[in-house]
Amino acid sequence: MILRLWPGTSEARAAAISEMLEVEGVRTSRSPELNRPIIATLDKVDASLVRRIEELAELESIVHPEGEWRRVDRSFRDGPSVISLGGVPVGGGSVVVIAGPCSVENAKQLDDAARCAQRAGAHVLRGGAFKPRTSPYAFQGLGREGLFLLKEAGLRYGMPIISEIMDAGHLSAFLDHDVDCLQIGARNMQNFTLLKTVATARRPVLLKRGLSATIKEWLQSAEYLAAHGCDDVILCERGIRTFEPATRNTLDLTVLPLLQQWSHLPIMVDPSHAAGIPGLIPPLARAALAAGADGLAVEVHASPEYAKSDGGQALLPGELAGLVADARVYAAVGGRHLAEQLVQPAQQS
Amino acid sequence: MQPQTRNHLAFLDRALLNLLEERARLLADEALEVPANLEDLLLRASGDFSPHALSSVFEAIQAGCCANNGGAQ
Repeated sequence: MILRLWPGTSEARAAAISEMLEVEGVRTSRSPELNRPIIATLDKVDASLVRRIEELAELESIVHPEGEWRRVDRSFRDGPSVISLGGVPVGGGSVVVIAGPCSVENAKQLDDAARCAQRAGAHVLRGGAFKPRTSPYAFQGLGREGLFLLKEAGLRYGMPIISEIMDAGHLSAFLDHDVDCLQIGARNMQNFTLLKTVATARRPVLLKRGLSATIKEWLQSAEYLAAHGCDDVILCERGIRTFEPATRNTLDLTVLPLLQQWSHLPIMVDPSHAAGIPGLIPPLARAALAAGADGLAVEVHASPEYAKSDGGQALLPGELAGLVADARVYAAVGGRHLAEQLVQPAQQS
Repeated sequence: MQPQTRNHLAFLDRALLNLLEERARLLADEALEVPANLEDLLLRASGDFSPHALSSVFEAIQAGCCANNGGAQ
């Protein structure tokens, strides 16, 4: 359960309440919320203790999360979280576009993609260096060299970078190359060892929804990250596996309004992996923003026909520019706004 | 006027306001205002909104955005 104390409750009283619970064998966790003390109980609270809690003058309300999570629950904060992704705010009305190639293939391909992404108005550069491929014979990524090229391109175009980490043993490579945001891919959403290790990096994490994961399982994975030190989690819906073979996956937009009720975490949508068909990406992106997505993650490639992975679902540079322009309109209609790019294309030497 | 129509108008007006504010935000750091392509807008207009009024509205929008960035033209 989550105990929301009245705003203005002293730190001393909040600490005393936490101690009262701890003495009874109930571990607690404090929200970083500054406006009011919020305390989550991590263990079962028996009925007699609940009655004592209910009698506290400082208690405003007790909230029971929909699942076995605490720190990522909506009631653990006073409002939606705003997460700084390398200086770009995500959430709380600030809409962000992450763009880049599926895989980092070589310096020229990445430079082309990064330039296109920045000129189109994207905020964050994505690119896979370690690739989880269904076939063991498919391109597996450039590894550390890919991270080096990605960081170099990010610095050149003034864009924070994000890349998928597949193995806890690779974490030092991601930190060495100062990757701004670590992505947990769909296939690793419930790799709890990886989640626990990644959480220790104290970097924002983009947590993609598993191919067949329920919303509760997804939030539970986010709670793993939060419980191990990473509060800066961005959820990313990328389509789920259904009976429908016409598209690569089925984009589940129901998560957007539902998770806004259940969690304070920002939620992005990846229409590229959901659809697998470039022509479907712009309308799905618009639908996602209309439903409240805090951002979009899309693949772009200057020459998709030569891409070593997922070229068939990459947008062309001009299509990305149209998508970002749409994002501005749809965000604005909903009372939100497209985040500022850290470096405007015109400022680029 | 029906209450429902009044509600719809209120929502549309709020959406228009949000879009106007976004337009001004986009131009906040620009030294020069790019004039709206009125010719293109008039071609796209269906006629439900009077073309003459449309011109006036866009002139006012441009003036509003200019006022926000120091009146640069």
